[in-house]
Amino acid sequence: MAETEKKKYMKKSEIFTFGIGLFGVALLTGWMPDYTQTYFADFAFKGKGFDASVISINISTVFLVAGIIGAVIELITGFMIDNTRTKLGKVKPWIGFGAIPMAIVAMLVFVAPNTHNQTLGIVWMYFIYALYTAIGCAVERPSECFGALCSPEPSERASAISIASFMKSVGQSGGMVVVLVVGLVMKAIMGQQQFKNAEAQGLDLVISTAVCALGFIIFVMIFFINNQERVPFTREKVSLKDAVKVVFTYKNLLMVSLTKLTGFGRGVYGTVSLYIAIYLLGSKDLKLALLLPMGIGTAVGTLLVNFVLKKFSTKQTYIMFCVYGASSLAILYFVATGIGFRSELIVPFLILNFFCGLQHGNTNVTPNIMIADCVDEIEYKSGKRQEGLAYAGFGLFAKVASAFTKALGPWLLYTWSGYMASTNANVAYAAQSDATLNKFLMIYTIIPAVFVILQGVPILFYDMVGEKKEMITKALMERRAAAAAEEGAADAE
Amino acid sequence: MAEKKFNTKLYGIFAILLVAAVLVTLTVTTYVSRYNGFHADKVAQAYVDTIVQTGDGYNALKNSLLSKDQKFGDYIRVNYLYPAIYENYKPGDSTKELKGLNDDSLKGEKTLGDDGTLQGQLIEKMYPVYTQLLQTNGSWDAYDAILRGYIAALRTERAALYGDTFFDDEVFFTCLEANIAAYGDTLTGTEDAFDKNTGVQTSFASEGAYQKKYGDDYKFTAQAVAERDGASAFEGSPECKVVTVQVLCGDAPVVEGVDVTLVRVGRTWYVDQDASDTAALYTFYR
Repeated sequence: MAETEKKKYMKKSEIFTFGIGLFGVALLTGWMPDYTQTYFADFAFKGKGFDASVISINISTVFLVAGIIGAVIELITGFMIDNTRTKLGKVKPWIGFGAIPMAIVAMLVFVAPNTHNQTLGIVWMYFIYALYTAIGCAVERPSECFGALCSPEPSERASAISIASFMKSVGQSGGMVVVLVVGLVMKAIMGQQQFKNAEAQGLDLVISTAVCALGFIIFVMIFFINNQERVPFTREKVSLKDAVKVVFTYKNLLMVSLTKLTGFGRGVYGTVSLYIAIYLLGSKDLKLALLLPMGIGTAVGTLLVNFVLKKFSTKQTYIMFCVYGASSLAILYFVATGIGFRSELIVPFLILNFFCGLQHGNTNVTPNIMIADCVDEIEYKSGKRQEGLAYAGFGLFAKVASAFTKALGPWLLYTWSGYMASTNANVAYAAQSDATLNKFLMIYTIIPAVFVILQGVPILFYDMVGEKKEMITKALMERRAAAAAEEGAADAE
Repeated sequence: MAEKKFNTKLYGIFAILLVAAVLVTLTVTTYVSRYNGFHADKVAQAYVDTIVQTGDGYNALKNSLLSKDQKFGDYIRVNYLYPAIYENYKPGDSTKELKGLNDDSLKGEKTLGDDGTLQGQLIEKMYPVYTQLLQTNGSWDAYDAILRGYIAALRTERAALYGDTFFDDEVFFTCLEANIAAYGDTLTGTEDAFDKNTGVQTSFASEGAYQKKYGDDYKFTAQAVAERDGASAFEGSPECKVVTVQVLCGDAPVVEGVDVTLVRVGRTWYVDQDASDTAALYTFYR
């Protein structure tokens, strides 16, 4: 058994190209939501005489509708993936054939119709973004599922997922670099003022989208050509009833999904980061400096998890990182309140931010590895392999959690903290009381720390580790070997 | 018979080429159709529209030859502000080694301690100066006189209010842009504004000159109605056009036609500000 477990199934290049593929997907999916919002609000119908308030109300609804469509498509895609059986595999066709329409539709989101009819413009926004969301889900989810299929060997699979997750997290911010480079190139070619004029018409966003979409198709095709699914799919058809059951009734999968809900408040720090930069560090320009060390910490943490997983189980790793994450945030809080904020403390504060960022590597990687293990467990128990639904279920919980985070963050910041907005037209940010500043710091540190602990609670009940995992892995390998032999015999006949 | 295998390499290359072709086509088409600079009529329309919507001839100049080689803000810095800030400065000189009125050592106590209150007062003091300059010169076509007059008055007013001689480009742009926005408000009117977080009212509704004349639901649109070949004094004698732009309120013309002269440099059209007369756009509502 030990020898079988150590066997490498993937070519070395496959681990890298899996990461390249996820990088490509994240490059486009990371770019689209924020910049689409800006494009719709500020550029799509500029000069057409549309009512700005009607457009902005509709933009919020466009994203709400797209979110609902995304959640539904998420489950449908999962269900359809699990019923896909082709020579290429079960998820690769979705990625490879879905990438072409996804790239083109993403581009079309930034090609607004030249119309003076406001109703037509609004209908177009709903239609095109809903279409993009639907196609995007049908490509993004399978690309994540691929981790569970790249190798039957759990440790090899875990390494591949962790490296790919690292590249995915880098890809998510790739759009910011693209728009920066596109801007520089446009300035060099057109001159400063003409670039400004083109920027005022949103043309830098149009070109950046084309660059992101081109990067997406190139990287995804590299993955599509080089990578293979190596876990055979089961032959049984999955019914819709089974599909819903999978998401909610398998304890381990449910526990992994629940981490998203119990830890939903982890992300509220993002809401307050601008105010931390202004009031505690002294300049709003320091927001990037504040988030950058945390972002670097996240990327480093993603790689670090890979090493920790070689020594400890996924359960132990997850809980250790939760404890570490909460502790680092608490230390940041006590250091900041104990010493107080002085300009010379900015650098140590930013360094501590890096260490706080390390924990996010865990939440990016470990759940994906756990879900792959849960897929094994479900296959072992039911005889059906259902990557699609397992990842779709997790994605569904993540979407609900994200909605909670978006509601909690602003409430904490604007209501609970006692924030006083400036009423002077010449003063951007009014002075705040010490109590409010302390609450800002709590929203940035202690409150996320509590949620980091809470997100670890469901994992206490997770048991797809150790001997159980080994036993299931072994049983599945034997089962697959027997099925392959049976198939070979049938083919010979 | 050997089973035909799907060729993923071929498909991958095909997918990349197909998507690249579609992306290039969509991007080029969108760029050419949307980028105003490639269309003389759109540049002329944008020029007139910017002036007529809020009386903002300053930002309209971003479509002009003044902005051909550099940002309009940099044009103003090099030709008007730096000569005021640095003694003996000539356009084109580097400012790196120069010491001028923007030196921090010239900041007095009031400048260092200002939380925005004094800046607000300075903006208020400069507002009548700005409107007077605009009225005297008739339009931003006389940008040279307006900028020189404004900078001279701003230095005097600032020195009196702050008690020091500090002066930099930020002081200038903050005041001028605030005055231009306030002037625009007198034309368009304002609505009640509330702070989105606290609900505190930050400003009150007012009726603008446009509303008084054309009603609350007025809506101006600028439309290019005619185009002819023209002549420009701009060096190099590039391709030149004169575009007549009409301003409509609803369907009724409120400005029959303003002739905007444009020259083409490379593929891009620019307004020749010295050959265009926009004075009618500042008075039509009176």
